[in-house]
Amino acid sequence: MSAADPAGLPRQRRGTTPQMHGRYPDFDVLEELDHWDERTRELIVARVESVPRRRFFSREEFATLAAFADVVLAQDREPRVPVMSLVDAKLGRSTGDGFRYDDMPEDAETWRVAARGLDEAAGGSFADAPPELRERIVDDVASGAVAGAAWSEVNVKRAFAVVMRGLLEAFYSHPWAWNEIGFGGPAYPRGYQALGVDRHEPWEAREDFDVDPVRDVRERGLK
Amino acid sequence: MNRSHLLLDPHRRGVPGVARMRRYRDDDPVDMAIVGCGAGGGVLAQRLARAGWRVVVLERGPFWDPDRDWVSDEAGSDHLYWNDTRIIAGEDPVEMGKNNCGLGVGGSMVHFAGYTPRFHPSDFTTRSVDGVGADWPIAYADLRAHYALLEQELPVAGQRWPWGDPHGYPHGPHPICGAAERAWEGARACDITMRVGPVAIANGRFGNRPHCIYRGFCLQGCKVNAKASPLVTHVPDAIEQGAEVRADSMVVGLEVDGGGAISGVRYQRDGAERVQRAHAVAVCGYAIETPRLLLHSGVGNDHDQVGRYVMVQGAPQIAGRFPELLRMYKAPPPEVSSEQFYETDRERGFARGFSIQTVSPLPIGWAEHVFADGHRGTALREYMRDYNHWAVLGALCELLPRAENRVTLADEADQFGMPRARFSYTQCENDRANIAYAKRVINRIWEAAGAEDILTIDRYAHLVGGCRMGTDPETSVVDADHRVWGVPNLFVCDGSVMPTQGSANPALTIMALASRLAEELAARRIDSTRRRAA
Repeated sequence: MSAADPAGLPRQRRGTTPQMHGRYPDFDVLEELDHWDERTRELIVARVESVPRRRFFSREEFATLAAFADVVLAQDREPRVPVMSLVDAKLGRSTGDGFRYDDMPEDAETWRVAARGLDEAAGGSFADAPPELRERIVDDVASGAVAGAAWSEVNVKRAFAVVMRGLLEAFYSHPWAWNEIGFGGPAYPRGYQALGVDRHEPWEAREDFDVDPVRDVRERGLK
Repeated sequence: MNRSHLLLDPHRRGVPGVARMRRYRDDDPVDMAIVGCGAGGGVLAQRLARAGWRVVVLERGPFWDPDRDWVSDEAGSDHLYWNDTRIIAGEDPVEMGKNNCGLGVGGSMVHFAGYTPRFHPSDFTTRSVDGVGADWPIAYADLRAHYALLEQELPVAGQRWPWGDPHGYPHGPHPICGAAERAWEGARACDITMRVGPVAIANGRFGNRPHCIYRGFCLQGCKVNAKASPLVTHVPDAIEQGAEVRADSMVVGLEVDGGGAISGVRYQRDGAERVQRAHAVAVCGYAIETPRLLLHSGVGNDHDQVGRYVMVQGAPQIAGRFPELLRMYKAPPPEVSSEQFYETDRERGFARGFSIQTVSPLPIGWAEHVFADGHRGTALREYMRDYNHWAVLGALCELLPRAENRVTLADEADQFGMPRARFSYTQCENDRANIAYAKRVINRIWEAAGAEDILTIDRYAHLVGGCRMGTDPETSVVDADHRVWGVPNLFVCDGSVMPTQGSANPALTIMALASRLAEELAARRIDSTRRRAA
């Protein structure tokens, strides 16, 4: 177990979660896929089984950004949701998100600036930097304090938000993450019936671990 | 009369009439060419087709088939949004895309949550009564019958509504999930009245539309056909009555004849540019695209009013953490709401007010909330693992119309060769005071409900204004008949005509405005073919 996990967080017993921990150790949403409509099933099975090949980023950019993603998503070991592969595929399809701040480049360019900026801050490859340095650089990016030629091209806080938006979308689009948090997932055509407090569907699972994250995060001094 | 619910197929979700839809030739001048098939354009087309008008709707996006095109998945629903880049600016820039911009037949209502409150009578007179905003050139009474009719057509489900102009709904209230129960209890403990609904989601079979199954993916398009959008509520009847809905057709310009009237619309389809001829044109492209099209076409902007007074609602989200499992992903995100704080209360220290509604984000939406609260890494993962313990309420704060909050043309072009829209937005002091007050009220609700912790983030919702209606061409873009000042046969019929926005979700009012305009046009009380006035 990673030192940063709260004490007692269960290991996953059924299916997969990122890093094999979570609050619903006996819940695997992928066991339900026969109950999903065909289009949804195809899409989500492909997301799990057909990890897209890198085509948008260079090998170096990809490695840098993947190391960054590991830090901001606390993916410190396998199994990892392959977030950068999903991000790479989305940027390769060139579907933007519908807006751009007037002091920012297109999102795709922002990602490339972030890769350059991270390497610059690490004085070499960010992916090869020691863990403490990587954490410190991520802190500086998040607060907007990071310096460097690449970062000076953009509004750093907004660039951080662009990258985080993409990474969070990729991570929480993955059924392994749904297992970790106990999200029931697609429910068409079956629907949900158990709507009340402390109720769950027959195929959903109990929660095996409960800690208020606000208190726990504060007490342990996490960000 | 609207038979849409009977024209759908009980077992398949796509609109059955598409294959045998009437087609008009480009050089055959139709009675009305409508730009955009959302809440405004969809209703306008259905009503005019019913009245025997020859109508073509040009819609930039696809003709959706929910079985084929939509999924129960957040990340897999990007194609429902207007994802072309808009440039955002100002001191409080408004992010665009999935939260506020639709695409395809049905428009933004395809992915709206489903809340369909009416505006209040007070919304139409905020300048004279509250000293802020603007007075509309029409009154609530002008829309009242259209509200009631549309509530039948959608249909709207909810408890009897005590605020504004009190009224009932055709369908009873839906059951609510654990998260909404907690919101209800907290509000009651604070003497705040809440009501279940009003949501445009069938509660019980409605013609060939099935009832809601509480799958929770309202924002990803309803695969059940239970939630209303013009795709299922008005387009089937429009097509049956002889309208053509021409999808995948991006209008890039309005054609102006020598007399200053509109002779047709220029559009791109399959890579070719064409012109649909028309005796009259209604632009229904919403608060960004409608001003962009008028500005790009050089039409209706003699007084520099096009694109001004664009409004959003302040929509902070406040989440409460409870010891029990609430699983807010079940049931529609819109469940219970309150309009108790809708009107001005001088003791609050600002003009106008806000509404309160449950919002219930799915995991990606919840992750964005947790990130906006400042978390990442291990802390973010821990908050996310706690997803099922949280309930989320949102406010919709009425932010005031300001001339400098506007859409202009950027000096870069999109893939159609049209200048991109640039949207600059800055709040005023009244706006900030309203949002801050609304957050305090919702914090109180969660505390009273027994929440152990509360997370608050800022965001925006909805878009209206940009071509507002008024009584004077120097301060508005269209008159009370939706006719663009100075252009005899050009109308605007969407959320952009709204001079104020209240704290209500705009969809039902956009539909009601379209319904009213269509009634006036069909009765020939408005002459759509008039040439330039002498």
